[in-house]
Amino acid sequence: MTGIALERVSKRFGSVDVIKDLSLDIGAGEFVVFLGPSGSGKTTLLRMIAGLETIDSGALTIDGVRSEGLAPGQRNLAMVFQNYALYPHMTVAENMAFGLRNLGLPSNTITSRVAEAARMLEMEKLLARRPAELSGGQRQRVAIGRAIVKEPKAFLFDEPLSNLDAGLRVRTRVELAELHQRLGSTMIYVTHDQTEAMTLADRIVILNNCRIEQVGTPMEVYANPASRFVAGFIGSPAMNFIPVTLTGQGDRAAARLGDGSVVPLPGAPQGEGPWELGIRPEALQVAAEGMTKATATVVERLGDRTLVYARLGDGTQVISQDAGKSQVRAGDGIGLTFDTSALHLFDAAGRAVLL
Amino acid sequence: MLTNRRKDAWIAAVLVAPFLAIYLLVFVWPTIQMFGISFTDAPLIGTGEWVGTANYERLPSDPRFRTAAWNTAYFVLLTVLPGTIVALLIALGVSRLKGRLQSAILALFFLPYILPVSVVYLLWDWVLNFQFGILMHVFDLLGIERVPITKSRTWFMPAVGIVTIWWTAGFSILLFLAGLRSIPAEIYEAAALDNSSRWTTFRRITWPLLWPVTTLVFTIQLIAQLKIFDQVYLFSVGGRPNDNMVLVYYVFQRAFQQDQGGRAAAVAVTLFVLVVVVSVLQFQLLRLAGGRR
Repeated sequence: MTGIALERVSKRFGSVDVIKDLSLDIGAGEFVVFLGPSGSGKTTLLRMIAGLETIDSGALTIDGVRSEGLAPGQRNLAMVFQNYALYPHMTVAENMAFGLRNLGLPSNTITSRVAEAARMLEMEKLLARRPAELSGGQRQRVAIGRAIVKEPKAFLFDEPLSNLDAGLRVRTRVELAELHQRLGSTMIYVTHDQTEAMTLADRIVILNNCRIEQVGTPMEVYANPASRFVAGFIGSPAMNFIPVTLTGQGDRAAARLGDGSVVPLPGAPQGEGPWELGIRPEALQVAAEGMTKATATVVERLGDRTLVYARLGDGTQVISQDAGKSQVRAGDGIGLTFDTSALHLFDAAGRAVLL
Repeated sequence: MLTNRRKDAWIAAVLVAPFLAIYLLVFVWPTIQMFGISFTDAPLIGTGEWVGTANYERLPSDPRFRTAAWNTAYFVLLTVLPGTIVALLIALGVSRLKGRLQSAILALFFLPYILPVSVVYLLWDWVLNFQFGILMHVFDLLGIERVPITKSRTWFMPAVGIVTIWWTAGFSILLFLAGLRSIPAEIYEAAALDNSSRWTTFRRITWPLLWPVTTLVFTIQLIAQLKIFDQVYLFSVGGRPNDNMVLVYYVFQRAFQQDQGGRAAAVAVTLFVLVVVVSVLQFQLLRLAGGRR
């Protein structure tokens, strides 16, 4: 079991910072997901760990060994690429055996490891085929198999599901979770899909603008986002942000919306405005009376619940939630109730302010 | 979109017609004529009497034809495989460079290819000439006796071979580079993570994935070098053309210097069949060898 530690690592491409002074500890056996929008540096960070990109400054420790100077092959990691990167001229079995041959393992060890991986991934019948004769999902399995046979210190996944169709993506996601439970290996997984991150991760590392915005378990980053960026990036549909002014002190602290209606706050925040109140759609319920008034613009019926897109008095667009059998129709005037236990407040710099 | 199929076919025919007419007129018809003439004793211009296969029957015992066939085979041996290897090595080197430097170096290697053969001859005459060639001065410096390279039976073909490789490598390098670029970078990254050494990566990844291009380059080279003429003709000026005879030169000599159209056509047909058979055979062989991998 292998821990991976990054200490103040940086990376520049020419004059552009890609990773800036980043530190992160990944525990042995942990499933860590790097989540962020494109250009956030998540793939570069993974490639720096793999050794495919050099680390300009800072330290990388894999299993207690300083590794930033080691060649990719010497780090004993396995990577599953976005486009799988299978060797097109080799059969499935040869693809999996290639790395083991290079290590000089005896051929019976290679054969048994390949057979074991093929059995685990249910692809024994594919062993003699070439990648061109496989479907996208099967190629994906071969890529994972090629990683498994190496018995690496850690697995690195670079957006491995992005080329699969929706149904297969969900199935493979579940299989990856099972694989992690069975092998118990350290896994690092890069994605821009927050659903993948939420479902797979022990911990999510949210990257934005070359640095880490927040590290936490899926529920931590969902329930207690450290910044407006994280709050907006995690959760679907996204959190509502409403410009507010603050009134009152102590127990009587409250946020005043643009239309004058008031939402009580659990405590008075410190810091500088302008402020934004954050609330997830499921905590903003349609109600007959409610704390504020709004006009429904679009109604999406999802069966178990109904999403009501509404415009507040000051023109702010919000998404609220109603019961599955909601009677609301577009154009209706509605009331909205804020669940005051699920409020977030963000200061001018976008930092979450503790309530 | 709805289309009128008859009208489409009509337009297609009209568009193809100019090409077809020219192709038939200047390629197919002369080729058929050549086959016909090879069975006659026609001079260069005009018709001749039917002589059956006599023009072909005398080839095996014709010493000059034998010299030409042997020299052509020797030249192919000297240029095709070495030329392919040299181009591959240069392409592998150039592909490691990046950006503008790569373009600049590639341009340098490609430059000779755009030169006309007469310029190539002049350039290399300045290098190889017995009296004033740069190489002779180098020989003098090293204390080696001067060699009349283009006048020597031993050195003529190897020298023309080297000049030909220098002249034509640019095109092969370009093909190899295109082949190398079509191999995704990720595959090399996967190989790096798979502990693959540089040599293993070349042998097990680059070489097999480049095989179709190698086959193509080899075939193009083979066809081109079987048709060797210009360089041999130019370098033989004032030398020993009959000893340096190659097949196309022999066709030229019979037709244009000895006014024997029929005999020239017989040699041309022989070369034509040879090129077709050899190139098709080797292309298939190389393809099969690749398929087994």
